[in-house]
Amino acid sequence: MKYQTSDFRNGLKVEIDGQPYIMVYFQFVKPGKGTAFTRTKLKNMISGNVLERTYRTGETLDAAPVEDREMMYMYDEGDFAVFMDNESFESVNVDLNAIKEERPFLTENLNVQVLFYKGNPVNIDLPNFIEDEIIFTEPAVKGNTATNATKPAELGCGAQVQVPLFVEQGERIKVDTRTKSYVSRVK
Amino acid sequence: MLNNRLAVLKAQGELMQTLRSWFLERGYIEVQTPIMVPSAALEENLEALQVRETNLFLHTSPEFAMKKRLADGLCRIYQIAHCFRGEEIGRHHNTEFRMLEWYRVGASWWDIATETIDLIQTLYRKTGQEPPNFVWIPTTALLDPTLSPEEWFFRWVDRIEPNLPPAAIVYDYPHWQAALARKRHGLAERFEVFINGIELANAFDEEGSSNEIRTRWHQANTIRIQHQKPIHPIDESFLQAIDRMPRCSGIALGIDRLMMLLLRQESIHELL
Repeated sequence: MKYQTSDFRNGLKVEIDGQPYIMVYFQFVKPGKGTAFTRTKLKNMISGNVLERTYRTGETLDAAPVEDREMMYMYDEGDFAVFMDNESFESVNVDLNAIKEERPFLTENLNVQVLFYKGNPVNIDLPNFIEDEIIFTEPAVKGNTATNATKPAELGCGAQVQVPLFVEQGERIKVDTRTKSYVSRVK
Repeated sequence: MLNNRLAVLKAQGELMQTLRSWFLERGYIEVQTPIMVPSAALEENLEALQVRETNLFLHTSPEFAMKKRLADGLCRIYQIAHCFRGEEIGRHHNTEFRMLEWYRVGASWWDIATETIDLIQTLYRKTGQEPPNFVWIPTTALLDPTLSPEEWFFRWVDRIEPNLPPAAIVYDYPHWQAALARKRHGLAERFEVFINGIELANAFDEEGSSNEIRTRWHQANTIRIQHQKPIHPIDESFLQAIDRMPRCSGIALGIDRLMMLLLRQESIHELL
């Protein structure tokens, strides 16, 4: 199967030079006097390295033969994150180098899609939202009423996100893993 | 960044007011020209939208009609026009978008560049932000002008544009990118404005010979036929106006993109 530039979107899994990539950025660009292009950033699923490529309209990319399976995050062991199949209890290791961006959002017992390329577990797809507790954030400064002001907060899973000033340490919050941003408090 | 829609819309309205005052102070008058036109474009890479059951198109820019106004005797004109271009959708593109165009009789492209910098800096100051400092760069310092158009644009999009300085006036384009600009010493007398690598505006020292424009129109249509695209009809009343139009320069600026940058939004869709 082939993808046209008009099919490009974040999360697209493609194969380039015998390596599996996931599209992490795409942008339609058309110089005023020229033809249309799509600028992309593609993350190698195995190494985690990001490749920047520009495609002309009409060029295509091959779909990567990737299968996904829902598995639960268990713990890190050495250079690997360990995931377990909820039904067969089989566990697999994914190289932490390949999931540098995703690792901070792996909360305890989180269900994710583990991506298998040619039978090997190489990467993961996070759920769109996760929930976790804030383990550290500064108290709000009294009198600061700027409506758009935020402060950094550290979550139990290790992620750092910007939160509104009224959010306090010890509260649970919902985070969008695609934008890595605060969504709401969780009661 | 303003993340409140109401605040963004109010700020945009206020900036539009500042913009209109800026033109008024400089002796420009506002014109409003028809949106449905007999020919919407000359360039081979622009796709016009035809209006059903008519021979008319939605304009891709108000350029032709504004040049007719210059031929009628107006000397300093501007317009904020809704424009329409097919096959253009993205974070910085939309089929319908707004273009700010202005034309000044007797001005060189250099004069228009100076005005453009002043207008952009005025609007940045209005939002309380530090105005950008522009760097002037000829394209010949970035890319070999003898490259094929296809290769030139690929390299431009792939390597050059993402690495431009934060604010740039880019000029001296290859002659085959002249569109409606004069040619001189094998280069097109035009410039483009970039902020944060985003193409914001395109300006010409305007070509004043209808014969030359007719030739370019035929060349563009020849390319369109090769690519099995419909031709852009030649607008004879526009060509007649060109011969009466005084020497002038003009610019088309994507106002949605400028507002996006001024109000620090992610895409132009927040402003539309």
